[in-house]
Amino acid sequence: MKGHHIKIIIAFCILILSAVPAVAQSDWPNRPVTIIVPAGAGGGTDQTARMLAKRLKEKFGQPFNIVNQGQGSGVVGIRSIADSEPDGYSLGVIYNFAHYLPMGQANLSVRDFTAIAQYNFDPAGFHVHADSDWRSLPEALDAIKADPTAYSIACGGGCGGSWPIAVLTLFDKWGIDLEQLKMIPGQGAAAALQDLAAGGMDVVPSSVAEAGPLIAAGRIRGLAVFGGQRLSAFPNVPTLEELTDIKLPLGAWRGLVGPAGLPDGISAKLEKAMQEIVSSDDWRLEMAERGFGVQWRSITEFEAFMLQQQCEVRAILEDFSL
Amino acid sequence: MVILDAFMSLLTPMTLLVMLASAIYGLSVGAIPGFTASMAVALVVPVSYFLDPIPALAGVVTLAAMAIFAGDIPGALLRIPGTPASAAYVDESYLMTQRGEAELALGTGLICSAIGGVFGALVLIIAAPSLAEIALQFTSFEYFWLACLGLTAAIGVSVGHPAKGAISLFLGLAIAMIGLDPVAGLPRFTFGRPELVGGLGFIPVLIGLFAVSQILRFSLSPDVDNNLHKSAQRAPVTGLLSGVLSHVRRLKWSIMRGCGIGTVVGAIPGAGADIAAYISYASAKALSKQRDVFGTGTLDGIAPATAANNASVGGALVPATVFGIPGDSLTAIVIGILYMKGLNPGPMVFLLKADLIYAVFIAFLIANIMIIPLGFLAIRLFRHIVSIPRTVLMPLVLAACIVGSFAVENTTFAVTTMLVMGVVGFYMEENGIPLAPAILGVVLGPLLEEMFLTSLIKSSGSLSAFFERPLAGAIGAVVIALWLLPVLLAGRRFVIRYWSKS
Repeated sequence: MKGHHIKIIIAFCILILSAVPAVAQSDWPNRPVTIIVPAGAGGGTDQTARMLAKRLKEKFGQPFNIVNQGQGSGVVGIRSIADSEPDGYSLGVIYNFAHYLPMGQANLSVRDFTAIAQYNFDPAGFHVHADSDWRSLPEALDAIKADPTAYSIACGGGCGGSWPIAVLTLFDKWGIDLEQLKMIPGQGAAAALQDLAAGGMDVVPSSVAEAGPLIAAGRIRGLAVFGGQRLSAFPNVPTLEELTDIKLPLGAWRGLVGPAGLPDGISAKLEKAMQEIVSSDDWRLEMAERGFGVQWRSITEFEAFMLQQQCEVRAILEDFSL
Repeated sequence: MVILDAFMSLLTPMTLLVMLASAIYGLSVGAIPGFTASMAVALVVPVSYFLDPIPALAGVVTLAAMAIFAGDIPGALLRIPGTPASAAYVDESYLMTQRGEAELALGTGLICSAIGGVFGALVLIIAAPSLAEIALQFTSFEYFWLACLGLTAAIGVSVGHPAKGAISLFLGLAIAMIGLDPVAGLPRFTFGRPELVGGLGFIPVLIGLFAVSQILRFSLSPDVDNNLHKSAQRAPVTGLLSGVLSHVRRLKWSIMRGCGIGTVVGAIPGAGADIAAYISYASAKALSKQRDVFGTGTLDGIAPATAANNASVGGALVPATVFGIPGDSLTAIVIGILYMKGLNPGPMVFLLKADLIYAVFIAFLIANIMIIPLGFLAIRLFRHIVSIPRTVLMPLVLAACIVGSFAVENTTFAVTTMLVMGVVGFYMEENGIPLAPAILGVVLGPLLEEMFLTSLIKSSGSLSAFFERPLAGAIGAVVIALWLLPVLLAGRRFVIRYWSKS
């Protein structure tokens, strides 16, 4: 008798659980939403995700909880965004991941995700030691072109990440032989910048905000920032366009995505909320205070951007065989 | 004057309340096996959004100081290090507990933690910019030798047959190789499984080896550890203090050396409290006149190591505040909070927001003094743990371990890792293979590999580059001397014996 009861209750619970996704769409969100952050607590991806979560909660009246999964340089977290249920209750913050496939780290493509909105872009900076002989970017590029094997260039992480891809694209345009370069992988931009300040590296590409304290300390110099616009926080760092006429708006980006197959109704709701957040003054102010650039891209623009970027990264990684 | 202003700015009810709450939170989290200081800080990140800069940062540094000490408590009482920083001397303190000297071990640990912490804080306040100068001289060549020094310390901390210590170390290095390799980022030993790409998490491995193996051992022979009950009923805390102080006086030079090692190792980015404790323990053993007492449960090993791990927190704040470079995972999170509060780390912060940054440093100093009364209370509370029947306690510890390893990685795979490592740890111990070197292997393996390979890429394969920089050459010479010394001594003994025979 008792056993029978339990079976009925279990069956009932399964019934309720299986019914939830069907109900969920129309009145989404009716329970807390998880945002997977493929990075550790305290870093840039985590900080911006928490800023978003706080505002999304205000918009939708449900908690948006941050879950950090930074293992394997983000592979694990990005994988679990792609593998989660497309019911709108698992979202993720994503950044440049196009290199994982060509580098054999994970089988991930833009098709594994539903784009929602891009909210951040930071142009790459080109940093050298304070005592470096190079006074300007063209000088540095010519020297590297003349003897590509002589200099240590940091990847600040894996060599397919946003920063090395930006400088490799620039080197390629300048006619430098990519195959001969000494590109040095490592564990993130902070460690590479420390090595640069200690005299162990010749060039470190990273966001200018990350290099900011060391630039202010007079340990390293920023020779250029990618793109056409100087950064308001670093007005003395010239832009790539000013120096070379090369238009390369490259750097790191972050955006909100869901797993592939997220219902259109939910992604449209999120896109609208994200647009309001990203265009608000208090968002722009907080982002600027913490040294992050603001960039808005809607669902269609963000998806097209990710696809285009995926092609470019894979092409450059083919030229530059590790 | 800046220092005085900074001190006054701490004396608001809100700040003091936040510091007290953080202290209690830090002590509790640190004392629960499987919950680390880094995790405790990560968990308060969301809360710190709502606080003013001074209470938020004062709270975080207080929390860090308390959690590192509190990790000693379950280490001594249950032989389960509460945080990785306590792993180096957990055997020593547990052996003392089995002899009924738990409070002496913990009391001395507490005083030494406070001394180490205050030392680190004073160095931070007085010499942050100049100490950062040393830390900024480290390129991959210096890091390579530092990692070698750490691994050499692994042999120093292992008790019993050196071969068994080596087996344990290599097992740790093998565990560290799973996942993406630290240089090219290629997956290794992952068998195509996406869970393994992230490697085996350090915390689940640590909890598994120490805590789960201990739970297994207990469940197979529940009658051991009777002495623990006796220890719980022993002397009141007041009578204890004098005993502690005489030991502290006896070991004062060793403790000071621990403070120095801790501060310097902490200040070097990438090397944290755990490595500081190992190196300090190993150097205390190497320089001691009574090397035989190490491994039998002695304060000679505990005192300098526990001073070192607390001193390292102050050291780690040096490059974090001066250059925005994290000294370890804990300070990486602190840097995130500094940015969040508009205290962007860098030399300018000492000019522009000197009162704020010194308020944080002084809060850290106060926290390390507060550790004494609060720590004694914590010891008194937690010693009752050992009088809880083990059949009740052990399932609770297991539950805490499962929650802890899940919370730190956010994957159920981490729980599986922890349980499997528990079985591995159990069989290692059954066969007399020490656990501590394995943990050091897991910590240092990736660092050693990364620094060796990046150095080789930089120098285009030339090994002489490892000695070309003066600092690298000096550390390298010390390491090689440490390797050769036992061989030379053995050679000398052999020659002497040979001559005396003939």
